[in-house]
Amino acid sequence: MKDMMNTGPAVHAAAIMYAEEARAGLMDRREFLSRATALGVTAPVAYGLLGLAAPAEAQAAKVGGTLRVGMEVKAQKDPRTADWPHIANVYRGWLEYLIQYNPDGTFEGRLLESWEANADATEYTLKVRPGVTWNNGDAFTADDVVRMFTRWTDASVEGNAMASRFLGLVDEATKSLREGSVVKVDDLTVVLKMSLSDVAVVANLADYPAAVVHSSFVDGSDPSANPIGTGPYLPKEVAVGQRAILARNADHAWWGGVAPLDEIHYIDFGTDPAAMVALAGSDEIDCNYESTGEFITVLDGLGWNKLEAVTASTIVMRMNSASSDLYKEKAVRQAIQKAVDPKVVLELGYNGLGTTAENHHACPVHPEYAQIPAQTIDPAGLKPALEAAGLADAEFELISLDDGWEAASTDAVGAQLRDAGMNIKRTVMPGSTFWNDWAKYPFSSTTWNHRPLAVQNMSLAYTSTGSWNETGMANPEFDAAMARALALADADARRTEMATLETILQDEGYIIQPFWRSLYRHAREGVNIDMHPSFEHHHYKWSIA
Amino acid sequence: MYLFLLRRVGLMLLTALSLSFIVFCLTNLAPNLEKLARTEGSVRMTDDDVANWVIQNGHGGSMVSRYGEWLGVVPGWVLTDEKGVTRGRCLQGGLTVESAPRFCGIFQGNWGTSTVFREPVLKTVTNKLAATGWLMFWVMMVMVPTALVLGVLSGMREGSRTDRVLSTFAIASTATPEYVSGVILIAFLGSATAGISPVLSSWGWIEGRTLFQGTATSAMDKITFWNFALPVITIALYGIGYIARMTRASMTEVMTQQYIRTARLKGVSFRQIIIKHALRNALIAPFTVIMLQFPWLLNGVVIVETLFNYKGFGWTLVQAAGNNDIQLLLGCSVVAVFVVLITQLISDIGYVFLNPRIRLS
Repeated sequence: MKDMMNTGPAVHAAAIMYAEEARAGLMDRREFLSRATALGVTAPVAYGLLGLAAPAEAQAAKVGGTLRVGMEVKAQKDPRTADWPHIANVYRGWLEYLIQYNPDGTFEGRLLESWEANADATEYTLKVRPGVTWNNGDAFTADDVVRMFTRWTDASVEGNAMASRFLGLVDEATKSLREGSVVKVDDLTVVLKMSLSDVAVVANLADYPAAVVHSSFVDGSDPSANPIGTGPYLPKEVAVGQRAILARNADHAWWGGVAPLDEIHYIDFGTDPAAMVALAGSDEIDCNYESTGEFITVLDGLGWNKLEAVTASTIVMRMNSASSDLYKEKAVRQAIQKAVDPKVVLELGYNGLGTTAENHHACPVHPEYAQIPAQTIDPAGLKPALEAAGLADAEFELISLDDGWEAASTDAVGAQLRDAGMNIKRTVMPGSTFWNDWAKYPFSSTTWNHRPLAVQNMSLAYTSTGSWNETGMANPEFDAAMARALALADADARRTEMATLETILQDEGYIIQPFWRSLYRHAREGVNIDMHPSFEHHHYKWSIA
Repeated sequence: MYLFLLRRVGLMLLTALSLSFIVFCLTNLAPNLEKLARTEGSVRMTDDDVANWVIQNGHGGSMVSRYGEWLGVVPGWVLTDEKGVTRGRCLQGGLTVESAPRFCGIFQGNWGTSTVFREPVLKTVTNKLAATGWLMFWVMMVMVPTALVLGVLSGMREGSRTDRVLSTFAIASTATPEYVSGVILIAFLGSATAGISPVLSSWGWIEGRTLFQGTATSAMDKITFWNFALPVITIALYGIGYIARMTRASMTEVMTQQYIRTARLKGVSFRQIIIKHALRNALIAPFTVIMLQFPWLLNGVVIVETLFNYKGFGWTLVQAAGNNDIQLLLGCSVVAVFVVLITQLISDIGYVFLNPRIRLS
C-alpha cells in the first residue's frame, strides 16, 4: 500500500477503497469519515483521500470566562460502570479517552497518537501519545493502556458497561483479560491481539464509560474524590442533584495546551424542559444540555443559537417477554408493532424533528445499514390477533417518563393502540423512579443514544447476552448473525449480515422504534460550543467570545 | 412551668420515635428495599442477587432490631460476603471491625449516609434546613405584617367596603394552592415569553429578559430580591389570606366588646381605641395561627422548592422519597418533628404572655 501514499504512515487498504466509493457517490462523506478513521486513518488524511481540506481548527479562542450549563448532576461512578453521559460529562473534565468520537463522525486520537488495524481487524497497533502526564506528575505510558484493558474486560464487576465490548480480548473461562491478548511492545506501543475480528474496538474506546483512570484509582469509587487524571480541569465541587464545578487545573501542564474556559458550572434544574426555557429567559444558564420537542422553537424565539447533531438517537417502545406473559407470543407482538404508524408518532411526539424508522434499530446514517422491504402498517390486524391469543380483555400497561417528548411519543403509541382496540393503560413515572427499573418493565419506552455503528446498539440490546437487553429477546439465529457481523471489518460485507439482523429483529416484533431524532441544544450568543451526537462534552473546545 | 416543659419535651421525643418508626417500616418494605438494591447495585441484577444484596447490606433480619440499630440501642450489623469483604453499619471511613464502635445509631450521633447525595445525612439535613430557614424567614417577614394589617383593617369596621374588598382578596389568596399561584406568578412575572416581562423588555425598562427569575436556584448562593421574591410570595400568599381572615374574625369580635363601646362613649378617638384597646386582645388568636403556620410552611416548601428548584428541605424530602433513601428520610422526619413541636412549644409559652388568664400547668 505504501506506494499509494507519498508521505506519512500506510493507509488502510479498505480506507482507500472507501474513498473511491465516496468519490463515486456510493457513500456519503459522513459515512466515509466514520469508517476511514475507525481504521486508523487520521482525520486530515481521510479528508485528503476525498480531495478535501480538513476543516481548519477553530481560530485561537479567547481564554477565560465561566460557562454555565444546565444539566442534571448525577452521582459520580467508577467510569466503566457509568450509565449516563451526564456522569461522564463531569469526569471528562479531568479524565480523558484514548480515542474521541467527533461530531462530524470521525475518530480522533487523544491519549493515543495513532492506531492501525490489520486487514481482517483482528490486530490493532496502538501508539501512545508521547509527552502526556497525569496531573500528579506521573507519565502516561503503554502500561496505563494495558492496565485499562484489564479493568475494562473484568466481567466480575457488577454493571461494568465495558465488559462485553472487547470479546476478542476476553478469556471465556475467567471472564477477564486473556493472557497475552494485550501486549506492551515498548513504552509507547501496545498491540491488541484478538481472537476474533471486531470492528467496534475503536468506537468502543471512544464511548463514555471508557475514560482512562490513574493506577491509584480505587475500583468502584467516586472518581471526583481523588481526581487524578490527564485532563485540563479539576472538579471543584460535585453536589448531586445540585451542581458540579470544573475549574482549570493551574498546576497541571496539559498536553493539549490551554483549555480556554476558566470554569464550567453544571447546574441541575431537574428534568423539566420548561424549566430550561425559564432559565434561558432569565439568563441563569449560557447553554443547555439538550433542547427537545416544542421547546426547540421556543428557545429559537428567545434568540438563542440552535446547534444540531444528526444522529441515530431514538426512542424504543419495547415489550419484555421475560417479565410479562402478555408478550410471550410473537404474533401478539407483531400485531402490536404493526398497529403503530411511525409517521404519526414522529409528528405528535417529536414535532417532526427527525426521520421515520423501520422498527429494527439500524439507521441510514450507520455505515452498514441495509435496506429491507418496508413493513405494512395494519391497525385492523391487532384486535383479531389479541382475540386469537385470548388477550382481548387483558389490560396492557405502557410506561414512560413523565414529561417531554418521551411521554408525548409514548402517548402517541398508546393512543394508536387504543384506537386499534387494545385495552391499554398509560403510566408515567418521574425520572428518579423510572430509571431504577428501566429494563424490567413489561412494556415501556426507553431512549437510546446514538452510537457510531449499528451493530453496537444491536449487540448491547438484542443479543441474549447483551448487557442492556430489555426485551427478553433470545434468538439464536440473531446471536449467530451478530457474531458474524462483528467479525467483518468491511461495512459492505457486514451489510448482508445486517439485512438478516434487521429482518429478525423486526420480525420478532419486540420493539416499536418509530423515528430517529435529530438532536439539538441551544446556547446564547457569544458561546462557542457544539452539539455532539452522543451528548459528549469536549470541554477543551469550548470558549466564550 | 418546668413540669409543662418537661412533659412537652417528653411528648416530642415520643412523637419523633413513633414517626421515625413508621417511616422506617415504610421505607423498609420489601419492594422499597428491592428498588434501593437496584439503584445502588445495578438495574440488571437478578432477583437472587437482589435478595443477597439486601442481606449483605444490612437490610435483613427483623425490622425492630434494624430500627434498634438505627437508634443505636442494638449493636450495628457486621457481615462478611463470599468474596471476603467485610461490611458493617459502623465500618465507615476506614474503620475496621476492631476499631469501630459497637453501637452507631443516632443516639451516638451517627445519622447514616444518604444514598442519593453520597454524604452524611446530618450534613445534608443541616445544609438544606438552613436554606429552607432563609425561605421561611422571608416568608414570615412578608406574610405576618401583611396579614395582620389586612386583617385589622378589614376587622375594624365589619361590613364596610374596605372589609369586603380585603376579605375577597384574603379568601381568594387562601383558596389558591401554591402550585397554582406559583405557576401563575412565574408565567406572569418570571417568563421571557409570557406575562409582562416581554413587554417591559421591549420597552427597555428592564435589562434582562425577565422581571423576576423563574427559579430560585441562584438564591442558594446569594439571595436577591429578583431571585427570591416569587417563591416567597407564592408561599406567603396562601398564609396571608388565612391569617388575615383569622385576624379579622378576632378583631370584629373585640370591636363589639363592652369596653370598646365604653371607650367610644367616653370620646376616645377611633385611632386610639384600635391601637390602645383593641389590638392586643385581637392579636391573641392570630398569634397561635401564625405559630401553626410553621408546620404548614414545612408542607408548602415541598411544592414551592420543587417548583422553583430551590434546594432546601422540601426539595430534599422529594429526592429522598423518590429514591427511597432510607437514612435521609428518617433524618428528615426526625427534624420535621422537632421543628413542628418546638414552634408549638414557643406558641404555647408566648400565649401565656399575651393572655394572662391562661396558665401553663
